[in-house]
Amino acid sequence: MSSRRSRQQSGSSRISDDQIIELVSKLRQLVPEIRDRRSDKVSASKVLQETCNYIRNLHREVDDLSERLSQLLATIDADSAEASIIRSLINQ
Amino acid sequence: MSSLQSNADSTNSEPLQRSNPKKRRKIGHTNSPTLVPWRSDTQQRIYSSKLAHALRHVLRRNHPPPPAKSNTGREVRETADRVLAATAKGRTRWSRAILASPLNRWKLRRMHKKVRKAATGLAKRSPETRRRLPVVQKKARVLGRLVPGCRKLSFPNLLEEATDYISALEMQVRAMTALTELLTGGTSHASA
Repeated sequence: MSSRRSRQQSGSSRISDDQIIELVSKLRQLVPEIRDRRSDKVSASKVLQETCNYIRNLHREVDDLSERLSQLLATIDADSAEASIIRSLINQ
Repeated sequence: MSSLQSNADSTNSEPLQRSNPKKRRKIGHTNSPTLVPWRSDTQQRIYSSKLAHALRHVLRRNHPPPPAKSNTGREVRETADRVLAATAKGRTRWSRAILASPLNRWKLRRMHKKVRKAATGLAKRSPETRRRLPVVQKKARVLGRLVPGCRKLSFPNLLEEATDYISALEMQVRAMTALTELLTGGTSHASA
């Protein structure tokens, strides 16, 4: 088990550290928590942590929106809903 | 970040110069040029219309609403995810994973959570060489579980998938929020 572990890690270290740093900085730009703070001292683990939290928050938002949408759709007629949606998309 | 903003604007304001609206300009942004620009208005409109169309089928199925089980919310969520993955045109791993297994994804998630909790107690004891900090590795694993279909991905690919997934999720939230506001405004119009 430990030999497999070390082989895994020596395999992954072939990826350059610079590449990792670049990807982490790209991630940093996306997550608003980190982007709005002073971005010099953020470690990689903190970036990953905030990314996980952000994705979980987004999932939760989508769930809430789905619930609201399902309740709204239950009370509205399908055709008029789609018609009004498409009409507004065209008018934008 | 400003380069991304200018990309979104240029997609809308210069449709004649760019024949393919999905290509990004390479101003400092070295992402692969074939990925979907999640921030563009056009993309959001495409997603909204596809979602509206897909939700219609959900409505039809539930129109005599079964009062016993009220899991329409989950159906809406699954539909939204599937339409999102379809809008991604299958170029990313997470979108392919969503499209590949829509049926049991939620049940699998719950089962996986229980199995994982039992297994992590055993596998952590081996002393390892410190190539990559184990803290980062643990966080990377959590991230791999959050992004669909990315559990066994290498670290840089995982980060790439995560960046695309986050942008897609943000667009999904924007589109669904706009849709909800529209429908809320629509009902008040209808009743008046």
